[in-house]
Amino acid sequence: MINCEFDRRRFLQWTGASAFAAMSTQLSLESLASAANSSPLPLTTPILVMVTLYGGNDGLNTVVPFTDPTYKSVRSNIALSGSQVLPFSDTLAFNASMPSISALYGKNKVAIVQGVSYPNPSLSHFSSMAIWQSATLSADATSGWIGRWLDIQPHNPFNAIGIGSTLPPSMIGERSVASMVDVRGIQLPWGPVAPLLPRLGRTSSSDVRLEAGAATSISDFYATAQLLSPLVPTSPTGSNLGQQLSIVSTLINANVPTRVWEVNLSSFDTHTGEQSDQNALLAEVDAAIGAFMTSISAGSRSNDVTVMIYSEFGRRVMSNAGDGTDHGTSAPVLLIGNSVKGGLYSEQPPLNTLDVNGNLQVTTDFRSVYGGLLHDVLNTPVGDVIPSWTSALSVH
Amino acid sequence: MTATAEYEQRLAIARLIHRFNFGPTPGQYAELLQRGLEATRATVLEHGLADPGLDSVPEASLPNLGPIPLTNATAFWNAIYSGQAELVSWSLDRMAASRYPLTDRMTWFWHGHWATSVSKVLYPLTMQNQYNTMRTYALANFEDMARKMVVDGALNYWLDNEENYVSSPNENLAREFMELMTLGVNKFTQHDVTAAARALTGYSTNPSNGVVTFDEKQHYSEPVTILGTTSKLNAETFASFVVSKQENAKFITDRLWFRFVSGSTTPQASLASSFTSRDISSLVSALVHSSAWSEPANSLVKSPVEWFVGACKALKVRPSSLNVGDTQWSLTQMGQIPFNPPNVGGWPFGQAWLSGVAFQYRFDLAQSIVTKGDLSPLSVPKSKMVQACADWLGVAEWSRRTGSALATATGSPSELALAALLSPEYVVSA
Repeated sequence: MINCEFDRRRFLQWTGASAFAAMSTQLSLESLASAANSSPLPLTTPILVMVTLYGGNDGLNTVVPFTDPTYKSVRSNIALSGSQVLPFSDTLAFNASMPSISALYGKNKVAIVQGVSYPNPSLSHFSSMAIWQSATLSADATSGWIGRWLDIQPHNPFNAIGIGSTLPPSMIGERSVASMVDVRGIQLPWGPVAPLLPRLGRTSSSDVRLEAGAATSISDFYATAQLLSPLVPTSPTGSNLGQQLSIVSTLINANVPTRVWEVNLSSFDTHTGEQSDQNALLAEVDAAIGAFMTSISAGSRSNDVTVMIYSEFGRRVMSNAGDGTDHGTSAPVLLIGNSVKGGLYSEQPPLNTLDVNGNLQVTTDFRSVYGGLLHDVLNTPVGDVIPSWTSALSVH
Repeated sequence: MTATAEYEQRLAIARLIHRFNFGPTPGQYAELLQRGLEATRATVLEHGLADPGLDSVPEASLPNLGPIPLTNATAFWNAIYSGQAELVSWSLDRMAASRYPLTDRMTWFWHGHWATSVSKVLYPLTMQNQYNTMRTYALANFEDMARKMVVDGALNYWLDNEENYVSSPNENLAREFMELMTLGVNKFTQHDVTAAARALTGYSTNPSNGVVTFDEKQHYSEPVTILGTTSKLNAETFASFVVSKQENAKFITDRLWFRFVSGSTTPQASLASSFTSRDISSLVSALVHSSAWSEPANSLVKSPVEWFVGACKALKVRPSSLNVGDTQWSLTQMGQIPFNPPNVGGWPFGQAWLSGVAFQYRFDLAQSIVTKGDLSPLSVPKSKMVQACADWLGVAEWSRRTGSALATATGSPSELALAALLSPEYVVSA
């Protein structure tokens, strides 16, 4: 069984994004706080939060056609049923690892766009993620869709922010790139030695210049960490996506002038042992989204925020012998927000009428989803960002 | 010996062992303090001997992965990335394991000098071949090295000379070879670059194994005029010609000085004269025997790799025995991982390594090294533990700040070691 690990790091390495990222600004929390004070994002301005799931999330075990006889028969070793699902209609259910999203759906705050991909879907992680992030059908595109949106905005390093240390290609334009905030830059040292280490940050009269510089870098680190500590858990454990989204919700509630955020989670490439792995990942997504929506709903921008959760492809309808699934095509995209009109959008591709590779057909082009977000959230004509594309699927 | 003389001795010996040998093995610094400065100079210069340390590091066996497949490329990319990671581990293991580390230390210097990045070259085998060439010539004759490097596959691919034809010469390799690798800035004109680019035509590179072939028909066969001299040149004779220039001796001497001695002082003028024959080992020997080592101003920040390897050596940890993914991620976040310099200018130095973010990743690395490491040099009475730690790690002297902080950790050797590795005195080679 091939276990091809695909994650964000590899994708970025492959696309050469790290070269572009050199142009990107790494924003300190100080500069974000000061921007929030001096030029806060006006209330009611819409905000987009993209959640990228690297590896190809299995759509059929996320939004589950749990009564479909084909579903039960062709992936009997990983099909979910009974207590493993949270039904919301006679035929569809959320994976039971998603109680928060299921509850939000019950409040009509989750739009499920079904069957999303693009014509002749690529089964390559790299090509397909490049297509999704560039919003062109060429895997050789040189700019991302948010990057091209940035290209036509008045320059401002706060317009779009990626959480992490390297920018995803979606946020790299021809002339502009998003900024970054590194969630890892703020983990405090831990363990019994931790209380001792700040003492190393004091300068000493015997220091040569560079030793004083080394000491100052340590005190700078602790000063920054203190500034950030209300925002992020300072222990090395805890949910990766939860940390990222907790930073984003705090900064949104502080009115940082940012229209687009990107966070991400890797390891969805479940060729083997899918159930336990995917359930854990979806639980991480669900807990992070639940906490994020709670925080946003309690703040002053409750109706401003739309979250989009997507992956580069769904997975094969038929499971494999390793209790996993191989690369597939279309899958649902979830759009979540207090101003989103919840419910099902587009058609669920039939499980008994597959394409020549045994994969789901495509009922929605992802560019239509982007089109709706460009129109409703980023207030930008679709064709200005996605050349010669006009379709827009609105969920607002 | 007076207190000042004793401190100067400790400082000079610590500098030599850290800068030329990746830091002391356990007990080595104390031993060198006994044997004195001259013996230390001789010790750090030892090279070319049978080395059981290096013999214990298995060769990275990297296959020729061939062209990028047009379809079903997953296995190919997995092999590329795992090969890249293996190559990094291999080079770090060598640095830490070598009993006579000068050759690998110089190879590491040359890697920063001929700074070629796997981010573009892609193929680990091609990078390894370049590394082995640099290692072969690390302490040999610089003209011989330059003649090999000008036709090195990785360097040619990196600087766009992989298909350089007479019909449209590419100037990238020609310019960088003169500016960053042999002569320095403002030592030539655009005319010289154009002419040099012609001398470098006719070469093509197989990216997957770095084999460079020469096609006479694609080579500019007329004489070219470079730096005022007109002659027929190919890549090798071009390299020889440029290296023969007087500017080359000063340029290489300066480069060594900045990386081994100080970024804020300049070399004694006489030093370049030891490079007249372009013998690298003579220049390094002159550097080691110079009076620079007791000058207070000649401090340097250890680069992330040098700091990491030094810590591994002191704690007897083989780098590849740590979590390889975590190690390489931390080094990348600190801004330095072998085979991936940020650009053709090589890695930055000095203050650039002292960011607050770097401290966090340094902590992660130190934590993993200490967890796995041999702390027996700290098996001494508590009252002697802080000084024993300085003698173990090769620190000339703790400041009051660090000494008093470490004194609170004598209850736990692992805490003491961890704090010591993160201290300004260990991060900097004062």
